Amino acid sequence: MQSFFQTLVSGLSFGAVYALVALGFSLVYRTMGLVNFAHGAVLMIGAYVASTFYLSARLPFAVAVPAAMTVTGVVGLLIERVLRPLENKDFDLMLIGTIGAGSVLEAAAIVIWTSAGRGVPSPVRTAPLTVGGVRIPPYDLLVIGITAIAMVALALFLQRTKPGTAMQAVAMDHEAATAAGINVGRSNAIAFGIGAGLAALAGALAGPMLYVSPTMGDSLGIQGFAAAVLGGFGSIPGAIAGGLGIGVIGAFAAQSFQGYSDLVTFVVFTVLVMIRPTGIFGEKTVNRA
Amino acid sequence: MSRFRTGYPAAALAALICLAGAACSAPGSSSSSAGSGSAAGGGTPSGPIKIAVVDAQSGSASDLGQFEYRGVKLAVDQANAAGGVDGRKITLSLFDDQGDPTVGTELARKIASQGDIAMLGTAESAVTLAMAPILASEHIPNITSGQSTKLLELNSPYLFLNGPTGLTYDSTLAKYLVQEKSFKKFAMLTNNDSYGAGEHDAFLASLKAMGITPVADKVVPQDQTNMTPALNAIRGANPQVLFIGAEEAQSGLTVKQARALGLNAAIAEGAPAGTPLYLSTAGNANAEGTIVSSPYLGNDVSDASKKFAAAYTEAYGSAPELHGAKAYDGAQVMISALKACHACTGLALANAIRAVHYDGLLGSFSYNKQGVGIFATSIGIIRNGKIEPVS
Repeated sequence: MQSFFQTLVSGLSFGAVYALVALGFSLVYRTMGLVNFAHGAVLMIGAYVASTFYLSARLPFAVAVPAAMTVTGVVGLLIERVLRPLENKDFDLMLIGTIGAGSVLEAAAIVIWTSAGRGVPSPVRTAPLTVGGVRIPPYDLLVIGITAIAMVALALFLQRTKPGTAMQAVAMDHEAATAAGINVGRSNAIAFGIGAGLAALAGALAGPMLYVSPTMGDSLGIQGFAAAVLGGFGSIPGAIAGGLGIGVIGAFAAQSFQGYSDLVTFVVFTVLVMIRPTGIFGEKTVNRA
Repeated sequence: MSRFRTGYPAAALAALICLAGAACSAPGSSSSSAGSGSAAGGGTPSGPIKIAVVDAQSGSASDLGQFEYRGVKLAVDQANAAGGVDGRKITLSLFDDQGDPTVGTELARKIASQGDIAMLGTAESAVTLAMAPILASEHIPNITSGQSTKLLELNSPYLFLNGPTGLTYDSTLAKYLVQEKSFKKFAMLTNNDSYGAGEHDAFLASLKAMGITPVADKVVPQDQTNMTPALNAIRGANPQVLFIGAEEAQSGLTVKQARALGLNAAIAEGAPAGTPLYLSTAGNANAEGTIVSSPYLGNDVSDASKKFAAAYTEAYGSAPELHGAKAYDGAQVMISALKACHACTGLALANAIRAVHYDGLLGSFSYNKQGVGIFATSIGIIRNGKIEPVS
């Protein structure tokens, strides 16, 4: 039983990071109908910026993370601006454009920070809590808590603020939204910016758990993408459910299948998606970009 | 006229062109013959000596590739500053193998076609294994940083290692842990890439040779970041020592997660634990007491290592580590061979490498028939973020 709960705790911790990644994917998709393949690379940039603020500039972690989110949000705005001429014109080229943007970001990271990665010490130095023989690092609890706050904040933004409701209107019918005076370009830019900020938050929180390197966005991006699909692409609560689900499935697969854990995780994912193709909470499809 | 009748002459013409192309040899591929010992390869006798450096410059192994290239470049820059080889400068061509054996094979053909007379790299045994047969058929000597014993099974007269084999690392470590420290209960956690698999087999064989069976033996995927489930099972077996066989970052993460779980066994590992990357990922407190088997225990262990570290730091703004030191030694061996044979190529160059006796940062190089030049490592222990040799 101890082993079960220990594995569950570790799965939820990593799942929280995947959930943050999935939130960013889902936000851009529900607003623009676009899968942003640069999302993993943006996460990596966020991780590097946060670790630079934290380690080199010696800012407190609680300051370094929002600062990194702001800087990386600007990167998201830049990507949207570059792709904007293709909006409503060529969806496939926009998709390819995001792949290209990801490659550019990875190359830029190597130029700025070199290909040598960096370890980030945990900002929470207290000893792990022990509950019934299960050890819970306090930092993991922090990550789960921040993920929950991010989800609530995003949901409130989309439902209760003018820019948020504008984004929802654009997603439903961009021509009607335009006719109502909503600036579609600005709405898409906000979506990209917030999505990039969420990726940066995921990267910044993942840094002390993992290892910051130019390729860290690859596997986290894939896990986050799978989480978004599993939860229902475009669904905000789905992103959380999917992220935690992928994290827990991966942890139990690692416990039982060792070197084949990745294979088993994605076989289980495939079976679940075949049973419910639109994901746990259903897909919020948008037929435009 | 039917499509068949119009298409047939075109197809025949295309086939003829392909056959003609296959019959023509690419520049530098077979003309630099095996035993001529001529200086024809790599440019004119008065031109630069071209050497290829192949390492990952992108992907998950790119940090190793960067360290290696820096080590090689430092050695070559120093040699060129001192006049080169018989007055000829050495030029390096850097290729990115992306850590992918398939890309490596493509690069091996490219190196052969563009006239590089030798190759330094790669850092990954899997890529080196893929490239070695092509390089041998093209008579291009290669000094690699790979350490898998599978490299020796190729029996290539053109392949040389710039460090000990994985078996040397692990048998030295196992003997120290069992015979000097009297540990009896071992757990193993290794990854499933070529390095981790090699470490698993070598350390397990070393333990079994001393009559010890591990109490836990777990394998994780190469890019696994959550080792907690495997470590939790290991914790249940209550080992005295946890042997890790994985690259630097994954090893550091493993130690970090092990300590968070309350797994307080001594950590033992080969070369990756002797690098700054391991320390920064694990954290100094978690890495404290790690027992390391490495032929390069640090930049302060000898006058030669201090001199090397000073030059490296001046050139690149950061301190060197094991991979840079290995690559530096490998390059120095190559340069020594080129000087001895007056910039020969092909099998003559390979024989000149085998004849080199070189006192390097990792030890005294003296190559055997299988291309191994170093046969010992040292044992160190990490204290306060630094490796101290065990007395």
